Amino acid sequence: MPTYSLDINQQQFTVEAEADTPLLWVLRDELDLKGTKFGCGMAQCGACTIHLDGAPARACVLPVSAVGEARITTIEGLASGGQLHPVQKAWIAEDVPQCGYCQAGQIMSAAALLEKNPHPTEAEIEVAMQGNICRCGTYPRIKKAIQRLV
Amino acid sequence: MIQNINRRSFLKTSSLSGAGLLLGFSLGARTRPAETSIFEPNAFLRIGTDGSITIMAKNPEIGQGVKTALPMIIAEELDVSWEQITIRQADYDRRLGSQFAGGSTAVKSNWEDLRKAGASAKAMLLQAAANRWGIPVAECRARAGTVTNTRNPDSLSYGQLAEAAAALEVPESVVLKDPADFTLIGTARPNVDTEAIATGQPIFGLDAKPRGMLTATIVKSPVFGGTLKSFDAESALKIPGVEAVVEIEAADNPVLRIAGVAVVARNTWAAIKGKKALEVVWEAGDGATESTGSLRDTMAERTAESGAMELRNDGDVDTAFSAADQIIEAVYEMPFWYHATMEPMSYIADVREDRIECWGSTQVPSSVSYYANQITGIPRENIYVHQSRVGGGFGRRLLADYAQEAIYLSHKIQKPVQVLWTREDDLQHDYYRPMGRYQLKGALDGNGVITGWQIRSATTSRYLFRGDDSPHFKTEMFPDGFPAGFIPNFKMEYTPIATRVSTGAWRAPGHNATCFVDQSFLDELCVAAGKDPIAYRLELLGEEDREMPYDDHGGPTYSTGRLRNVIRRVAALSDWEQSLPAGRFRGFAAHFMFGAYVAEVVEVTLRDSGAPKVERVFAVVDCGIVVNPLGAKAQIEGGIIDGLSATLYGGIDIDKGRTVQSNFHDYPMLRYGESPEIIIELVDSTAHPEGLGEISLPPVGAALCNAYFRASGKRVRSLPLLRNGEVG
Repeated sequence: MPTYSLDINQQQFTVEAEADTPLLWVLRDELDLKGTKFGCGMAQCGACTIHLDGAPARACVLPVSAVGEARITTIEGLASGGQLHPVQKAWIAEDVPQCGYCQAGQIMSAAALLEKNPHPTEAEIEVAMQGNICRCGTYPRIKKAIQRLV
Repeated sequence: MIQNINRRSFLKTSSLSGAGLLLGFSLGARTRPAETSIFEPNAFLRIGTDGSITIMAKNPEIGQGVKTALPMIIAEELDVSWEQITIRQADYDRRLGSQFAGGSTAVKSNWEDLRKAGASAKAMLLQAAANRWGIPVAECRARAGTVTNTRNPDSLSYGQLAEAAAALEVPESVVLKDPADFTLIGTARPNVDTEAIATGQPIFGLDAKPRGMLTATIVKSPVFGGTLKSFDAESALKIPGVEAVVEIEAADNPVLRIAGVAVVARNTWAAIKGKKALEVVWEAGDGATESTGSLRDTMAERTAESGAMELRNDGDVDTAFSAADQIIEAVYEMPFWYHATMEPMSYIADVREDRIECWGSTQVPSSVSYYANQITGIPRENIYVHQSRVGGGFGRRLLADYAQEAIYLSHKIQKPVQVLWTREDDLQHDYYRPMGRYQLKGALDGNGVITGWQIRSATTSRYLFRGDDSPHFKTEMFPDGFPAGFIPNFKMEYTPIATRVSTGAWRAPGHNATCFVDQSFLDELCVAAGKDPIAYRLELLGEEDREMPYDDHGGPTYSTGRLRNVIRRVAALSDWEQSLPAGRFRGFAAHFMFGAYVAEVVEVTLRDSGAPKVERVFAVVDCGIVVNPLGAKAQIEGGIIDGLSATLYGGIDIDKGRTVQSNFHDYPMLRYGESPEIIIELVDSTAHPEGLGEISLPPVGAALCNAYFRASGKRVRSLPLLRNGEVG
């Protein structure tokens, strides 16, 4: 089985995995990073959203062999220096989650957007968040949480 | 208010060395030995001599907010500040009573018991302080986890009193607070798990991982009701990481007896690849003749004539139709809806020789325990069901079939096994909201007053599917629901339709169809009568406050006064009397269910494609006392989004006995950009708390389609409203 060296949350990890294994399952099964969620397995729901060199990516369709030297950030690595990320703080302030299962992916999408574009328009926010499904219907509160930061 | 504690719910207390006061209701079930209680949560609350206060959240948390709301009820009567307590999710434990997430019942059915649990503990702490100070208990006050002496500045924390309180007798009766004195109930409290969720903590069912756990995927018959003919495991076993291929016979999965072939692997990806590689031959059986079209035809035949069951017959509809000034007829059709919990079905079981531990997301931990015993023969006291946070329920996880698969597999291979359903498995082997057809006929007199109403319906009854003893119309039709009782000539007939397609409870079961049908058809009559929709409903309800008989969940009666109140208030909230800007249209619907009342107004504009764009939704809800308004509003917002999503997009099609859709690319869900502004008002009430988690969903589809009719002139009678983005 091939071996991969991965830069995750500013740490180096070496894992053995089949080349076609989606990064999602490497994170969850091999590295016990369970915050990235399995939702659909075909990049339709966004529950598995991570950052690849700062850009949002769906870990459920990204083979581990395609990651290369890209920096991976997962929800576990979003906070830094003991401080929650502003998006995490906004989520807490607006009491966004219901079941909460999709929220790591929602937060990762929002954080990637605001990193790249600190003052997005409502249309830009829509484009960035359109790939994340929330079955509980927390969109109104997600909207408020993002607006807090814009 | 004095409440007697009866024998059945009498509080038991036991002193644990150094652990302080431990209280739990004795419900006549076994009691675990005290020494394991320290490690196994088995009571509603615990106060440590170190000052720690732990409150157990007894019911499964599926996103409905009960992990926050139920402990609030205890904390209110205990008089502790919200910030000083630790809340823990209870595992399955018979001493906690029914642990169940369904029917919007958690707050309403636990209200008294949880208040008594908190109040009894407080009474004992007060008594302990009174004893210490040698003063009457009436001269002690409890507040924020501390008892103060009203004669002097002395005070003792609950932690300091815990040991002494544990030695006292449990009071025979307790004084509950006057709701006017509540300081915590009615205040906005954020979801207690929000930070854990926002930081990606492993709190969901899919996240648990006992040492040595293997992961299994399961191939099932693509045709509903199909049976296993043969399988060849060879290619699956060649996938690196696949450890075993195991047949699950129908009889091995006791709830619904669905067979499968499991691929058990060392990691999830191997299990998914192994499932694809597995070669299985199925005997399709007679399910292969079924399709959405064939079911529609069957229902049309069965509603053309009188139904199999007459559920209600007031007056004489035939005479009403002969005498009518106008007769309006319409046929409504409702599709199968998929649950689409964001966390797909999964469960973990570790079955040992004489003991089972299991972990995962379920709405029915007791059912998991029961079937674990049925499958393995291991006594229930040796079965430990750990309750995770649940990534969505919506009724799907009222069935523990997937948990039984994990228990069966772990029992068979004697290793801990996680069963994982892929999204495709989850979508294609779901227990859908039943499909139905509703044939309606209404009679109006010369003043537009409804004089006759006839409804003949046929649905794929979930109780018929399950072989349940409950009458097959239950959760399909509601003979006492509005407008029954307000129209002198009223007839309701029903025919359950047998199908192989699996059906189950879907958020607001039955109401999610009947409210759409009734409130849409009422709007049709309203248009024919040339009246204002809200005025028309109010006229039908009448001015007098009446308690209407309601022989179903949420009954035994409902109040026309409370229904009228939410209708009037939503009219005010939405400025109903004011005209809207050009291009904007609105619709209205109201409903009673599970003890609560709701009225909603939906405002739409039309997109260039002709599809409706939902701009704003107004909702007024009366569910009695609201424990946590922040959580309550979340449920109302969520139900509205959920209802809009299902109305616009929800529809499972069956072809040759198979589900056509497979994932979110062909079963769309409402997304961020389509989410409307939602304006909510909760009625301030001192009435008993009632079910809230489902109430906002049923009316929103009708209100949307009623608005869409005004915008487009098109009456939507068959859902979903959109297919492939086009108006269907």
